[in-house]
Amino acid sequence: MFEELLEDIAQKNGIREINTYLKLVTGLGAILLCLLSTSYIPPLFIALVLTGAILFLARVDAKTYAELFIVPFWFAVMSVAGIILIYGGQDVFWSWDLLPSFSLSITRESINQGMLVFCRVIGGMSAMIFIALTTPMTDIFIVFRQCRVPEVVIDLMMIIYRTIFILMDQVIQIYHAQVMRLGYSTWRESIHSFASLCGAAFIASWDAGEDLIRAMDARCYDGKFALLGENRRVERIPGLVVVVFLLLSTAVVIASGTITII
Amino acid sequence: MSSIILEARDLRYRYPRGLEAISGISFHIRRKEKIALVGPNGAGKSTLLTMFNGMIRPDSGLMLFDNQPIRYDTASLRTLRKRVGFVLQHPDRQIIAPTVYQDVAFGPTNLGYTDDDIKRVVTLALRHVGLEGFERRPPHQLSGGEKKRVAIAGVLAMDPDVLVLDEPTSGLDPSGSEDIMELLDELNHEGKTIIISTHDVELAYPWADRAILMLGGKILQEDIPEVAFGNPEYIRRAHLSLPTLLELHRELQKRGFLLQGKKPRTVLDMMQCFEAILKKTFCQTRPGAITICNVDRDSRELLLLWCSSHLSISTGAMGTRAKQRAENEQISLDFTYGVIDKCILKALLGEDSLILTTETMVNRVYQRVDAYCRESGICIPVKQLDDSTQPIRENAGGGK
Repeated sequence: MFEELLEDIAQKNGIREINTYLKLVTGLGAILLCLLSTSYIPPLFIALVLTGAILFLARVDAKTYAELFIVPFWFAVMSVAGIILIYGGQDVFWSWDLLPSFSLSITRESINQGMLVFCRVIGGMSAMIFIALTTPMTDIFIVFRQCRVPEVVIDLMMIIYRTIFILMDQVIQIYHAQVMRLGYSTWRESIHSFASLCGAAFIASWDAGEDLIRAMDARCYDGKFALLGENRRVERIPGLVVVVFLLLSTAVVIASGTITII
Repeated sequence: MSSIILEARDLRYRYPRGLEAISGISFHIRRKEKIALVGPNGAGKSTLLTMFNGMIRPDSGLMLFDNQPIRYDTASLRTLRKRVGFVLQHPDRQIIAPTVYQDVAFGPTNLGYTDDDIKRVVTLALRHVGLEGFERRPPHQLSGGEKKRVAIAGVLAMDPDVLVLDEPTSGLDPSGSEDIMELLDELNHEGKTIIISTHDVELAYPWADRAILMLGGKILQEDIPEVAFGNPEYIRRAHLSLPTLLELHRELQKRGFLLQGKKPRTVLDMMQCFEAILKKTFCQTRPGAITICNVDRDSRELLLLWCSSHLSISTGAMGTRAKQRAENEQISLDFTYGVIDKCILKALLGEDSLILTTETMVNRVYQRVDAYCRESGICIPVKQLDDSTQPIRENAGGGK
């Protein structure tokens, strides 16, 4: 299952021990710079650097990374194709009057705009994946608490996080049990099996919820969820690397100005 | 005899719109006892166990803890649940938090400990169950045995007097089960009363001080394991099986061998039975020596030096920390369960053996070996790795 895979990779990635704030600042800063940039070059630069960090610092398997990237990549390609066709502009290369008041056209401006959006998506995706692959949820909870997110919200998040995996386990088991008894052999059968899978999952989660209350009661639950661990200290070299990366990216944003592809 | 810690007087309980799960049960449990609750599925074991910490309130009858009737108001229940720790059958149902540290810290946090205290008790509890270094792991990445240990640590962190475990060995492989039983033994040795429910007769038979046989919400029999498991009629009715050693003993008796003394609980006891039958001792040679290494005290160098001078010696480890130490030093272990008995068996063959164990368990080795020596009249020498640190020996001077 995909979600488990992501979290598992994050739990044992190469830069897990780096301070969580540093990783979050890197990722969020990169996203912000991608959005601020008016040229297509800075997002590509950011994507390149972060991909390098994911592959060589976090030591994430290149195949896994590519698989993660492929879905948003095709999504970006399709949206950008749309943008290029309907953005409009003065310098027309090709145009087709589809309806009297609506025409599809490819212009210099639309290509530039499409390229910019596409590169922003690539840059932003690599930043998102960077956070997802290097920062496990368990570390993010600590950051949430330090940022004064209400306790109730964090407690709920932690219970949900824990329950997702239990529920997922059960769903996989039920699914396998159905497949083994040819549950998904025909289309009709598939719909039927899927419905009963949902029903069984609902009952299982209800059960798990009651058990959770009992388990918490048995351990003297008094409205307090467990304390969180501590964040790692900010070390000099990783801190410096992050600052250099962000400064360099900002410099690229400023230097590239409004350079366009054509 | 130590004082009574838990007592039930004519408990009755019926599930809403269901059958009567507990129909008139009375018994008592003493401090530092190891109790095995045995019976078929649906006998009411789990229901009874959940009454011990007030999760279920009996319809009628009285449950006493420390000679006080259990009160069911919130404050009293909190105190009770701190003192009676409950470990559920499925660790997944018990582990709530997203990391091991947080889960073990759950109880202490809610008991209002300070941060430093929480850190201390959690570290101690994890050390106890042999999961040091697992603090930041999420539970779904752990194996079944490790999850079980996390669940036990979560309860241990609250430092209860009584530990109640529902099916502690279900879903574990044989060696995992043995490890858990040994952990329970260790905890019992540190003064905790332990109550488990189980189907596994073979594991419960040598382990328990007393066994309670349950069937259909009633107690069928309550006695020392030799007696509780010794009645084939009851065993059949409770859908259990006779422990192999008891069955062997019974078959020998049927064939006209007069076996004196208590019924065998371990292979060692069985050997003594055979000696009685064959009227000769198996120990023809000079018995081998048992050496104890106290992993809390003896240095690494001493241990490695000793091991290198005694190659191919049988080694056993008792206790979680001892096993960890063996793993760290890459000492391969021959025995991890029932270690003392197995080393005595080795000694009877004239072979030496080494036991790695923790501070609290050292005396137990002496006690067990001394007891055996007194019974059999064979003197097995026991010595410590570091002779200069001889502890005060209880029951010293066994053998002849």
